[in-house]
Amino acid sequence: KWKGEGTTQNLESIVIGRCYDYIRIVNPAVGEKNCSQIWEAFKNAFINKDPCSILPKDYELFINLSLHTIPPNKSLFWENNQLLVNSFAARGRRYMSLGDTLFGFFGDFLNWCGQADSPGLDYESCPTTTECENNAVESFWRMASITYAQHSSGVIHVLLNGSAAGGAYPQPGFFADFEIPNLQKEKISQIVIWVVDDIEGPDIDSCGNHTVKTLETRLKTLGYDVTCSDNYKSVMFLLCLD
Amino acid sequence: MPFQQGSARTRQRTVLLVGIAVLLAALVLAVVLASLLTHGKHEVSPKMLKWKDRGTTKNLQEVILGRCYNYITAQYPELGDKDCLKIWESLKDAFIYKNPCNITTEDYQPLMELASHPIPCNKSLFWSKTGDLVHRYTKSNQNFLTLEDTLLGYMADRVSWCGDPSAPGINYESCPKRSECESNPGSVFWKMASKMFAEAACGVVQVMLNGSVEAGAFRSSSIFGSIEVFNLNPDKVSEVHIWLMHDLGGPQSESCSGHSIKRLISILEERNLKVICEDNYRPVQLLQCVHNPDHTDCRLCTNST
Repeated sequence: KWKGEGTTQNLESIVIGRCYDYIRIVNPAVGEKNCSQIWEAFKNAFINKDPCSILPKDYELFINLSLHTIPPNKSLFWENNQLLVNSFAARGRRYMSLGDTLFGFFGDFLNWCGQADSPGLDYESCPTTTECENNAVESFWRMASITYAQHSSGVIHVLLNGSAAGGAYPQPGFFADFEIPNLQKEKISQIVIWVVDDIEGPDIDSCGNHTVKTLETRLKTLGYDVTCSDNYKSVMFLLCLD
Repeated sequence: MPFQQGSARTRQRTVLLVGIAVLLAALVLAVVLASLLTHGKHEVSPKMLKWKDRGTTKNLQEVILGRCYNYITAQYPELGDKDCLKIWESLKDAFIYKNPCNITTEDYQPLMELASHPIPCNKSLFWSKTGDLVHRYTKSNQNFLTLEDTLLGYMADRVSWCGDPSAPGINYESCPKRSECESNPGSVFWKMASKMFAEAACGVVQVMLNGSVEAGAFRSSSIFGSIEVFNLNPDKVSEVHIWLMHDLGGPQSESCSGHSIKRLISILEERNLKVICEDNYRPVQLLQCVHNPDHTDCRLCTNST
């Protein structure tokens, strides 16, 4: 029916388990959360509805229940380099990327959708974003990205891929469309951009050029203090591992 | 005979009344007990034993189940035939209501059988006193698997559990430390899982040791030194590669030519295993460099690695 993969098997057990894993083991500093309630709020965002009619604000209750502080200076935004970011952030110890927050941890690498007139999850197939934008997963990440940006403070970091076809700063993109517009200027002291090329990959973009220049200009126009460095050494070492 | 019937009936009535009274008393007792038991579900019953280590992880069931499904669904779908519910039940049965100082390998046998899976050759990565570094490495490089990257280890990592003979059978307040008793649920689990992990290894195996530790990189008292080394199968394992890592800018207490490493090499060779040792295996050192990029040992990658 749809072109995308169906809902991940055992979704409920996985996400409830992740919720408890997060509050008991990964980041107990967030305190007590009601994981069953969080699951219900998450599910109610998209079940029993046309899977092409899910909006970010449908996840509002889910976000309210799973929200927690993001420590200042630890936010790490990124585009086109998820695995690299996961390694670099070290599960929240060094940086807290969206995937290291409870709400991000909850949904990372999973897939889900419902169906109209039925309380069940669709395990057969789910709409891709090309088929319809307002699908369950896309809206989830839009809402999560908006929230993450709104709650970031201090020095914020952005890791971009200088070898990505089409440029390091994709437009449209999550960072461009959902995160930048939701940054709280009065809480942010500086924006640090790192443009890192794949090892032996093409140097398509770099600081001061093409899409990165567009990004730098945009942020400066918005009034932010912006710095940019190419091939930030620390991150390069991670790439050398492969 | 009316008189006898009369007294018999009285006796019957008395018996009946007594019976009802007993039943009522039993019912009241049952209700009281039930409310006490359910009320005290997460409280320490006064009879529960007290230990020195942290207690069972709260929501253990949800965490274990979630991790099991996450592992087989999102990470290793080829293990799709694993029954996570059964696996959780077998873990619980291993320790619930038991005295946590009397755990045996038999207690864990069903769990081990349900959750074990084959390990591809050349991928086993053992470690001792390098926990943080080795797991950062396997997270970035899927070519190697530590015990904590197998289903059993993945489920149990950083989680604790122990039982108690009194209800509810699980002790969330405290669990025995190894110094209090060796046959505690955690120690027995990890020893058994480590043994099986070593037995399953084939081809070239790797071990990451810490050359900045004062007490020596290889210790016979560690799990690696006491269990894993002796359960590698020389018919399956072709070579052992030792990666001896030093903290960047840390003490170089020992290197490949060091005393404890020589001892390890002789133990392995005596078991008919070929051994190679490398100081500061470069790919792992690069990982250390991520957080200390200006150190003299941290030149950016060259293709000489």
